[in-house]
Amino acid sequence: MSTTAPPAAFTAFPGATISPNTYVDVAYEDKLALWEEVKADDRFPDYLYGCYECGICVASCPSARFYDFSPRKIAQAAAREDIELIYEQMNDDVWNCSQCFSCNRCPRQNSPGGLITLLREVAVRNGLGTAKEALEGYGRVVYKIMTTGTQISPDMLQPDAFPDWGPDVEKTSDNLDVWRRALPPETLHTTEMSWVVSEETLIELYLIWLHSDVMDMIAEADEGLHMIILDVMEETLEDAGYEI
Amino acid sequence: MPSDRLVVIGAGPAGLEAARLAAELGSPVTLIEKKDVAGGMPIHADYAALTHHFRPASEAMGEMVDAVAGNSLIDIRTGTEVASVTGELGNFSVDLTSNGLSETIDAGAIILATGFKHFDPGRETQQYQYWELPDVITIADAEKMLKSGNFVTPSTGKAPERVAFVQCVGSRDRQIGNEYCSKVCCGISSKQAIEIREMVPDARVFIFYIDMRMYGYWENEIYWPAQEQHKVNYIKGIITEILPKGGRLIVRGEDTTMGRPMEVAMDMVILAVGMEPSAGTSAMSGVLNLPTNKYGFIETAHDVLDTVTTTVPGVFAVGAATGPADLDDSISSAGAAAAKAVALLRAAAVSV
Repeated sequence: MSTTAPPAAFTAFPGATISPNTYVDVAYEDKLALWEEVKADDRFPDYLYGCYECGICVASCPSARFYDFSPRKIAQAAAREDIELIYEQMNDDVWNCSQCFSCNRCPRQNSPGGLITLLREVAVRNGLGTAKEALEGYGRVVYKIMTTGTQISPDMLQPDAFPDWGPDVEKTSDNLDVWRRALPPETLHTTEMSWVVSEETLIELYLIWLHSDVMDMIAEADEGLHMIILDVMEETLEDAGYEI
Repeated sequence: MPSDRLVVIGAGPAGLEAARLAAELGSPVTLIEKKDVAGGMPIHADYAALTHHFRPASEAMGEMVDAVAGNSLIDIRTGTEVASVTGELGNFSVDLTSNGLSETIDAGAIILATGFKHFDPGRETQQYQYWELPDVITIADAEKMLKSGNFVTPSTGKAPERVAFVQCVGSRDRQIGNEYCSKVCCGISSKQAIEIREMVPDARVFIFYIDMRMYGYWENEIYWPAQEQHKVNYIKGIITEILPKGGRLIVRGEDTTMGRPMEVAMDMVILAVGMEPSAGTSAMSGVLNLPTNKYGFIETAHDVLDTVTTTVPGVFAVGAATGPADLDDSISSAGAAAAKAVALLRAAAVSV
């Protein structure tokens, strides 16, 4: 493994951009501030060294095969500190990534997927309209994970919730009970939950979300969702003797 | 009384040239080679043609071997290894072993020319399945086939219709730990692409690259002719994996300048493997107490004014023992080290 030190912090300067300004209503300083927030993250130095544009990340990227999406362009824009292009990507491209991190095979040891994590977090934290829009369809998923501590349950596999899951989702969701009962293990016959998370674990999760900035991010993205989740969390925590 | 003898370790291109020149300058030389035959990697790995003028490697190396074999000042010891070295500039004692017999010789100076080994793609880059797929070979494997004059798809024995080169395998890769460029693979791949096109005129040849590094005259001697006369296809984008399908190999990558992912069927894939320090280079760095860089190559002054001087006075390192080097570099550094070593030996003799 390498022992090369990461490069000194990238320093943007006004005019570094070479891409056209496609968001004319947003001031350059505001775009720059978002990028500075990305770079200030502790994880940033591990996610970007430099890019020699070999395309191995695109070659290994499932999203790149189906969308007009390129992890290489994410890394290149970041390495060039092309503020206009980064802002454009933050409002669009970053939501086409499935966060599988296949791109971590990068020979330069960049993590385009990791950069996207940071770009998304900054987009959400700053309440970008496109972030709210992108996350709209996932309100139910977020609600489920955050309140039950467990992932998507079968009854959530509805065509409206997952428009990008293809035509079969309709066929499956119509006869979900039958499909599930056809599965051999009895524990999989349910349609309302995937597996149960113990109350102790759930309380721990709630406390983590409250004490980190996760709840604030959700408030930025969806105020209504934030309220509902908070209600559920408060009730459980109060019953367990915690004061919010 | 200091010894006026120069010991050269390794009888590849660099070692042969160092021995030849030192003898020409009047110094007695002992040239030590672990293998039973002199000539180094071009001979032992069955190289076909060299990059300049496509001259047969065996012919060029034969010339080098002949130049030392006929010289009464040069004592060639093949099948011989250096077990240990003691002493200092002017008065080294070099312990040799050969066929279980030991012998100690005196040396005033030492030139290390132990070279490199080819990166083994099976070691780390398992995604290319070099160890599993017979039709995934390296440029070293391809050299053997080209030398034999029978370039075929290994699994079928038939002439390939589509051949792909993948550049920078085991080089320029932080994850593998070889961050350096191996210098020669772009030129060798392009040279081989030309040879394949000449040997199998119906084959289409693709080179998938990150940057084509065609130094100096390789540009006009190899790169341009490969494109213009031999219709080799250069595509900027590296391959992420190779999947066997229907008797062929699907290579997955990105055509970066066109900006799109691609999956292309090939009959053969040739991995342009880079250089790593040879076992001899690693062993001798220990024996001679020479520091290596983090890649295991011998550390030299690494300066534009001195490419061969090590931290141990009287010991020089040349060729690919000090880092990736082409033949031109190896021969040049060997000559520089021979001249420096002989000058040092004379100065030592005078000062006594």
